[in-house]
Amino acid sequence: MDKLVAQYSRPPHQNEFYSEQEQQDLTESLPPLSLKFAMPPVDNSASFLRAMTDDHSNPSCPIKLAHGTTTLAFRFQGGIIVCTDSRATAGNWIASQTVKKVIPVSRLSRGEDKPTKDPTPGLLGTMAGGAAVSLIYSLMGDETGDEMEAGPEDCQYWLRYLSQQCTLHEIRHKRRITVAAASKILANLTYAYKGYGLSMGTMLAGVTPQEGPALYYIDSDGTRLPGNLFCVGSGQTFAYGVLDANYKYDLTEQEALDLGRRAILAAMHRDAYSGGFINLYHVKEEGWVHHGFDDMNPIFWKTKLDRGEFSNVTSEL
Amino acid sequence: MNHFPEAWGRPRDDVYGAYNPSYLQTTGPKAHTSSPAVTGTSVIGVKFNGGVALATDNLASYGSLARFSDVKRLRVFGDKAVVGFGGDVSDMQYIDRLLASIDIRENYSNHGNMLNAKNLHTYLAKVFYKRRSEFNPLWNHVLVAGYDGEGKPFLSSADLLGTTFSAPHLATGFGAHLAVPILRRLFPDEKPIEEVTQEHAVDALKQCLKVLFYRDARSLDKYSIAVITKDGIDLKENEQIEGQSWAFAERIKGYGAQTN
Amino acid sequence: MASLLDHTARGETVGYSFSQSAAAPVKQHGFYPYTDNGGSTLGITGSDFAILAGDTRSTSGYNINSRMVPKVFKIGGDDETGEGAHIILSVVGFAADGNALKERLDSVVKMYKYQHGKPMSVSACAQRLSTILYQKRFFPYYVTAILAGLDEEGKGALYSYDPVGSYEREQCRAAGAAASLIMPFLDNQVNFKNQYIPGSGEGHALEAKKAEPLPQDHVKQLVRDAFTSAVERHIEVGDNLQMMIATKDGIQEVYHPLKKD
Repeated sequence: MDKLVAQYSRPPHQNEFYSEQEQQDLTESLPPLSLKFAMPPVDNSASFLRAMTDDHSNPSCPIKLAHGTTTLAFRFQGGIIVCTDSRATAGNWIASQTVKKVIPVSRLSRGEDKPTKDPTPGLLGTMAGGAAVSLIYSLMGDETGDEMEAGPEDCQYWLRYLSQQCTLHEIRHKRRITVAAASKILANLTYAYKGYGLSMGTMLAGVTPQEGPALYYIDSDGTRLPGNLFCVGSGQTFAYGVLDANYKYDLTEQEALDLGRRAILAAMHRDAYSGGFINLYHVKEEGWVHHGFDDMNPIFWKTKLDRGEFSNVTSEL
Repeated sequence: MNHFPEAWGRPRDDVYGAYNPSYLQTTGPKAHTSSPAVTGTSVIGVKFNGGVALATDNLASYGSLARFSDVKRLRVFGDKAVVGFGGDVSDMQYIDRLLASIDIRENYSNHGNMLNAKNLHTYLAKVFYKRRSEFNPLWNHVLVAGYDGEGKPFLSSADLLGTTFSAPHLATGFGAHLAVPILRRLFPDEKPIEEVTQEHAVDALKQCLKVLFYRDARSLDKYSIAVITKDGIDLKENEQIEGQSWAFAERIKGYGAQTN
Repeated sequence: MASLLDHTARGETVGYSFSQSAAAPVKQHGFYPYTDNGGSTLGITGSDFAILAGDTRSTSGYNINSRMVPKVFKIGGDDETGEGAHIILSVVGFAADGNALKERLDSVVKMYKYQHGKPMSVSACAQRLSTILYQKRFFPYYVTAILAGLDEEGKGALYSYDPVGSYEREQCRAAGAAASLIMPFLDNQVNFKNQYIPGSGEGHALEAKKAEPLPQDHVKQLVRDAFTSAVERHIEVGDNLQMMIATKDGIQEVYHPLKKD
């Protein structure tokens, strides 16, 4: 009612242009530190957002966000394996085949996404969920002064937000944040935005002195679960199939890497919304190590021809 | 969030309610101008060497009822710009008051009203865009004619969503379907504006108005036309479409009860 | 979460825990704030340049609004002509949103220069554009944006976005109405996807051709070919091709005619 009164009682022309505050917000060169989102001026904004973007309920919805993914992470005696595909789909269109779905979180992980022998300290987050097309960050605050900037869409954006919070934690407490605490920040956040229409399913992996290897699953419902093994995304069931059959805690490092890769390969093969490149990480005590961003096709044929798997596919070309 | 593979990551019906496609349509009860009531039809404009000509008819319709037949839809701003309005008449009058207040404000400043047609168009487009972002649109499609900052003829369009575009000749509403093809035939891309004279432009507008009157059921044969040149604005508001020939109507068969 | 275990809630045909009545839901509003103005854009990078291109047609439905509405803009220049800019942006989708986004990014980059006393790097601008888009996560800008320029090493940099700000640095990207026509061509001609080295082996041993940065003239020709082909097969693409080339010497803008049918 107040809204209605306000609307019809305002003097003509007064609000016909942006207020000083709005103009300043629009031209601010740094994004605001507090979270500030423009909402559609309708009674049920989540319903509006869904009408525009839910390509499952309405394949011809106007705004198609990138979706579809398979990500997995599991703990074993030698640390944590994190593995993802790299495909992003918008409807039936493959929007990208080169998405980097593993994102380094926390400032100390100043690593670039190059295969390196030296482990990089810090946590890893995975992204699955609405519009997960994305980029890999090197979280380096360089001299351009962009270290206060938050990141992109759902997973990408909120993991960037999380790394900002983790950095603040390090500055305040002079030690790295635990995976438990970091995951709680994220879960509190997604719980606060529950019902707004966010879409993310993420796993946080890290090894800290307090916890040892720790793995958490957080999603946009506000769910936060510690665990040994998670698969997330449209190809999760296929990955679970392979992983559950072969997983044991006492896997050697090589076995664990191979299993992660093989589980993602299975999901890429059977889930149309997963594919592209296999992105493999190993998190251990000293930090995380990147084990490649490799085209699935040669790996698939190697698996088939050398190991005799995928016998459903003919080897004829 | 839905966790089943086929709809992974999408909203769940039991959390968000059923998918509501009504947001994709422009229907339903009105909170604001969510559909226009009293409306004006096409606006057409043509650039020529040294100026711009703009025309509308003088009708304001109420649905299919030809409600008001003496509504002037060309609005002069300052001494070098004209705005032609299509769409809702009440919103047109609101914008008219808005422009009047700007004109007064500018004239009180010591430099006078320096705003040219290009400035005016930018401003109007931003007002439209802001109002659409508030879901409280001004239900108009306007053409702004005059000169830009370099003194060249300017003609540009802005609509209720804030969409803008510019071209040597433009038409809104029904005119986008009927007048634009005529104008494109008369003034093809290869023919530069320098070769289009004022008479050409005005004749073309009259021809378009006539064709629109023949075929647009929401149009009228009384019209307004503004010719903007360096000498000023020549606005005529009580013109009559001349040389009508309804002979073609006899040959139209096959409508309604008529069978042969 | 409890209802997850309830299998009656599954799928779209089995039945909802929420009743999905056949009657239309109560309408509380009646304004659809978007439109699609068609057109297509494309960007390719090389070792020392980045090219962004777009057609200049603006459409609504089957109508051509105008044959000359540019989709590629200079960002952060000194005046309204964009002189002195070193970043380029292309936007395709809803033109009014695209324009609002362009003006917003432009003022942000200008403010950055004013406040920091140095031009904004392309990577910082790319990140900022992402946050601008994400700030409208719940009421998105209906646009697909591509940002380009030169990175700190002087190499061509190109960032592609989805409507709510997820972004990725890439070698090439096509967006807009004809993205599905142009992107496969780019995969093949820029990233050499499904190209093999002749005689390198038989069957599975055939070796894939490695992608490497292409020279500028070659890339320009690819852009022209991509657009002349898209014009043949998409009604919303045509009229003129606008191309902006960012090199260490600044930004050069060229136009080529396309078919106008």
